[in-house]
Amino acid sequence: MQILTQLIFSGIALGMIYAVIAFGYQLTFATSDTLNFGQGDALMLGALVGLTLVGLGINYWLMIPLVCLFGAFQGAVVERIGVRPAIKIKSEFGWIMSTIALGIIFKNVAENVWGRDDLKFPSPLPESPLKFLGANVLPMEILVVVGAVLMMLAVEVFNRKSIYGKAVVATFNDRDAAKLMGINTGLVITFSYALSSMSAAFAGVLIAPLTLTGATMGAVLGLKAFAVAIIGGLTSGMGIIVGGIILGIAETTTGFYLSTGYKDVPGLVLLLIVLAVRPQGLFGKSAIKKV
Amino acid sequence: MKRSHLLVAIVGVALLMLFPVGITNPYYIHLLETIMIYAIVLFGLDIVVGYTGQVSLGHAGLFGVGAYTAGVLVMKLAAPLWITLPAAILVTAGFGALLALPALRVSGPYLAMVTLAFGTIIQILINEMSFLTEGPMGIKLVKPSMFGHVLDEREYYWLCAVLMVLALIVVHRILRSHLGRAFEALRGSPVASDCMGVSVYRYKVYAFVISAGFAGLAGSLYAYSEQYISPNSYNFELTVLFLLAVIMGGRKSRIGSMLGAAIIVLLPKLLDDVEMFRYVSVGLAILVALTAVIGIQRGRLTAKQMAIPVVGSIALAGLSFWLKTMTDWRLSIFGVIMLFVVYYLQDGIVGFVRNALNIKRPTPDAQIAGAGLKGGDAVSTAADAGTGSEILNASGVLMQFGGLKALNNVDLSIKRGTIHGLIGPNGSGKSTMMNVLTGIYQPTAGAVSFVGRSVVGRTSSDIALSGIARTFQNVQLFGEMTALQNVQVGLHHTFASNLFDVSLHTPRYLREAKGATDRAMGLLQFVGLAGFAFEEARNLPYGKQRLLEIARALALDPQLLLLDEPAAGLTAPDIKELITFIRKIRDHGITVILIEHHMDVVMSMCDTVSVLDFGQKIAEGVPAAVQADEKVIEAYLGGTAA
Amino acid sequence: MIRFTKIATAVALASMSSFTSMAMAADPIKIGVDGPFTGGSSSMGVSMRDGVRLAIEEINKSGGVLGRQLQAVERDDEAKNERGVQIAQELVNKEKVVAVVGYINTGVALASQRFFQEAKIPVMNNVATGSIITKQFDKEPENYVFRNAAHDSIQAPMIVEEAITRRGFKKVAILADSTNYGQLGREDLEKALKAKGVTPVAVEKFNIKDVDMTAQLLKAKEAGAEAVLTYGIGPELAQIANGMTKLGWKVPLIGSWTLSMANYIDNAGPGGEGARMPQTFVQEPTNPKRQSFIISYLKTFNPKNARMDSPVSAAQGYDSVYLLAAAIKQANSTEGPKIKAALEDLKTPVEGVVTTYNKPFTKTDHEAITANIPVFGEVKGGKVVYAYPDDQKKASVVQMKK
Repeated sequence: MQILTQLIFSGIALGMIYAVIAFGYQLTFATSDTLNFGQGDALMLGALVGLTLVGLGINYWLMIPLVCLFGAFQGAVVERIGVRPAIKIKSEFGWIMSTIALGIIFKNVAENVWGRDDLKFPSPLPESPLKFLGANVLPMEILVVVGAVLMMLAVEVFNRKSIYGKAVVATFNDRDAAKLMGINTGLVITFSYALSSMSAAFAGVLIAPLTLTGATMGAVLGLKAFAVAIIGGLTSGMGIIVGGIILGIAETTTGFYLSTGYKDVPGLVLLLIVLAVRPQGLFGKSAIKKV
Repeated sequence: MKRSHLLVAIVGVALLMLFPVGITNPYYIHLLETIMIYAIVLFGLDIVVGYTGQVSLGHAGLFGVGAYTAGVLVMKLAAPLWITLPAAILVTAGFGALLALPALRVSGPYLAMVTLAFGTIIQILINEMSFLTEGPMGIKLVKPSMFGHVLDEREYYWLCAVLMVLALIVVHRILRSHLGRAFEALRGSPVASDCMGVSVYRYKVYAFVISAGFAGLAGSLYAYSEQYISPNSYNFELTVLFLLAVIMGGRKSRIGSMLGAAIIVLLPKLLDDVEMFRYVSVGLAILVALTAVIGIQRGRLTAKQMAIPVVGSIALAGLSFWLKTMTDWRLSIFGVIMLFVVYYLQDGIVGFVRNALNIKRPTPDAQIAGAGLKGGDAVSTAADAGTGSEILNASGVLMQFGGLKALNNVDLSIKRGTIHGLIGPNGSGKSTMMNVLTGIYQPTAGAVSFVGRSVVGRTSSDIALSGIARTFQNVQLFGEMTALQNVQVGLHHTFASNLFDVSLHTPRYLREAKGATDRAMGLLQFVGLAGFAFEEARNLPYGKQRLLEIARALALDPQLLLLDEPAAGLTAPDIKELITFIRKIRDHGITVILIEHHMDVVMSMCDTVSVLDFGQKIAEGVPAAVQADEKVIEAYLGGTAA
Repeated sequence: MIRFTKIATAVALASMSSFTSMAMAADPIKIGVDGPFTGGSSSMGVSMRDGVRLAIEEINKSGGVLGRQLQAVERDDEAKNERGVQIAQELVNKEKVVAVVGYINTGVALASQRFFQEAKIPVMNNVATGSIITKQFDKEPENYVFRNAAHDSIQAPMIVEEAITRRGFKKVAILADSTNYGQLGREDLEKALKAKGVTPVAVEKFNIKDVDMTAQLLKAKEAGAEAVLTYGIGPELAQIANGMTKLGWKVPLIGSWTLSMANYIDNAGPGGEGARMPQTFVQEPTNPKRQSFIISYLKTFNPKNARMDSPVSAAQGYDSVYLLAAAIKQANSTEGPKIKAALEDLKTPVEGVVTTYNKPFTKTDHEAITANIPVFGEVKGGKVVYAYPDDQKKASVVQMKK
């Protein structure tokens, strides 16, 4: 029983990480119908840049806003180079290929700058576990959950309350009408990409102390976060949190009761099942297209 | 095939076969072998990416399934070649179906991610199921034996070459057949495709499964070629390379696939060898600069266009001299090449060369036997013509979008052999009604039955095949296909041939193909477009496009034809012609529902007219009665009653 | 237009001349060097490569072999078996090497060696320890695979001896990775344990690049393990140590020599201290040869904190080149069969860093290291030291093959 609680707690922490990254997918999809296939690499860059800053002596907590700034910048670059030209030439999969290409480039550059080994990220919180309901929970894991929820709340509030948030929602609903209303839709899309990468970079520095930091850390995370986005529903914030928790717990329990090699499988299989049975996700709304 | 093309092809194949006789170093033979194996994968991938326009990130996984099917059969059962190759094809096609059936219900980025997930799952399964696959330790193979003799490097090369040429021929035949047209159609206009009886979902799945089969064949050949397989190889990097190869070589082109395969095999080798790379990059920079200068001088290119390629290639050359080893940056170079291809080389190298040298795409079926059938014969005669019985009945149809009731409790009864008009102001629900009748929308409530069978809940393609055809308010032609091909898509239902018939060009297929071509020409003649048969549909003048849509719809041998504003945008003489056509269609016993705003057309042709306003039927009857109806005048016709 | 033709011709001529000048250097003896220079195994690969480079430089400076210079043809196999296969084919058919040193990873060696065996090119395994590596071609009349590393049939019994006999643990768990190295090593451990009448209480597997070892460690803990025996490489071993810290369960780690890798020590932090492993070479100047090796290595490659990333790989890499050079000289030829014959009957002893090789190989015995040569190392203060002071005292006396 104790083991089960342990697995559940680890699963929730893991799931929240996926949720934060998945959130980033939702942001760009909402405004531009595109996804950043290099989302995982944005996370990886955030973690590595954070590692370098911490190595230079900057305090972990001070480092976070710096990494967020970096993430925003990186997202804007991706949008400028990868997505905007593709939307302009109305290429149907041009942006898929170009975000993949940019992700590959980022990963390779990271490999050459930081080396191909995985590095240890110094933890800002004590590394000894706390006892909670009989299971071991690392302080860092609690920080991850708190940080993830805070970030998503912040973005939700922003969307609903501020005028910029309304501009984002307007662009989501009807890009051309928004443009006609004087909203600079190009800027809105750039902004959503910046926000998306920023959330990924933030997720990166949150999880880096829990796992090893290296150039390859982003790939599988990006894919699983996508699974969470689909399972929860690409249009629902609540769905992403629920989807994340489901996936995280499924992973840790599979890893223990079945075999660790298979732990990535349930998430991916769940993705395929949800797409087959309910493509809009558990919480998403389906839209009817007018012909 | 044109004479000159055939000659070039024969020379190419001969050179391919003679290669290992001239160059005996096993290293180079193996290299070319790998290129050919990858080319087979790309032939299949091109069907999915180039023709149906879907992005698949899972083909490395399918490739791996093929390799491991062969490997496991050899390791566990010492299976011979003539079992492992077909087994690999079938097993991989099976996996392809398993993936495609759920995945292709969605499109675009969803499919890309799903295939990516699939590829990852495959890698994990191969890695973990070590009782079957030996996991990370991999499987060792030796070259296969044929007729008791173990093939050496050269003989195996010939085997691969033969199989590649066969694969090429089969793919070529598939894409030239009605299957290929279906693939292109579903990309050109998914809605029109469904309504012409070509189910978008089903054919996307076919395309994917066929490509999986090719990937499986290539995978099994790869296993024997490398003599060692391990789960690591079938990863994301390989799948990206496959995509890059298809796009860079050129979509919808066999030569493009072969060129792409050569590039992705040779490029890493080139990057491994720094010296060689330096020469090549310098050469490339010079070439690009020269092209830019000549192009600008001749006015065909602008400085702004060429700025990035020129600067980029010079930077690449400079970089190669500064870096000690290029292999570390291999992936970045691939990424940059990908970006370059996406923005500058959208048609790939083959497309670029074609444009530059102004070579046109080879047009199929350039020779048509006979001038088709007599115009009248091309249009089928509908059954039970003139009996006046009810052919379509819609009762209490409610179509609600959120809070908006686009159709509010509408009843409609269409009599056979009549021309039934449907008029009303914009937004009254006419097109919505059409979409409900053709299965594009599921009505929120109500019943619709056609010839006694309910329409509600059936797919558009199913409804189309049961006898309802339509045209669209916004023309939905398959723009990149010729007029003839567009009509041939409508004739898809006349083909009973399957994949084998198409690959082997059996008499049944040849018969059906000729029949379809003749019939299509006949239909074009009927609408007066015979002269435009080989013109791309998007190049036709607007009025002719509308007529082409009608010809295509007639190809379905419908009993009911729905025309959505066929006269919109036509000039007066064109409208007169249109009226003649519609009358002729009615004379063949085909019932017509006509949505129109041109009142003269409606009044002169229709037997009955129904009027919609705000989703409700406000009047129905013979044209004269409707014209005089007060409610109709107020809502739509304007003015006061006389 | 004419201007461009001129410039183009000039460039073409320039490139052609530099091309020809390249081809005119004296004909060197090509030695293939195959190892993982990137990835999780890279600290071993890079150290091995550097040891090889050092040896080649020294030999070339004193005139080369048979009057010709040695040239290393280095290829990065990324610890991937299929890369090794492709590299082997390239080295045989394109580069036409005379002999090969290398292979860090057992799996890569097992997958690739047969191409050299077929081409009759000798392979000197200088790091990979899988027991069957030198036995792969036992059934054939001539075996071209040699080794100067301490193979797992030596290491596994040593590990078991240390855990069961010397330190008295009754319940042990085995954690091994899923590669050929890990799984073959696990088999060797289980065999050695059985010889002492012990069955492991838990046998767990993990993949390369795995980060979370909680599941495996929990199972070992539940089974009551008093020590964990490992067969893996640096990054994952570090995660085992970290996982133990996270679970608050600290039992001794005793495993194969890879617990000495720099990326294990660095990533495991304080939780990695105290791990013990067999070592053929510890980075301490315990005799003049070793001292000069360490000094020139540090001077040439200047590693961080003056610590070799993998001292064993560096030393064995260095020795492997000297062994080959001696054989080539004795055979007075670069033909594979002749080099092999010379290796199997080396007439003059070769003074290496690990040991002095006196007739290390015979026709049937291709292993240069025997059980008396390796000692136990321990991770202490961020580097590897002698676990037992006795060993350190005896270290100045070179142990030769028994």
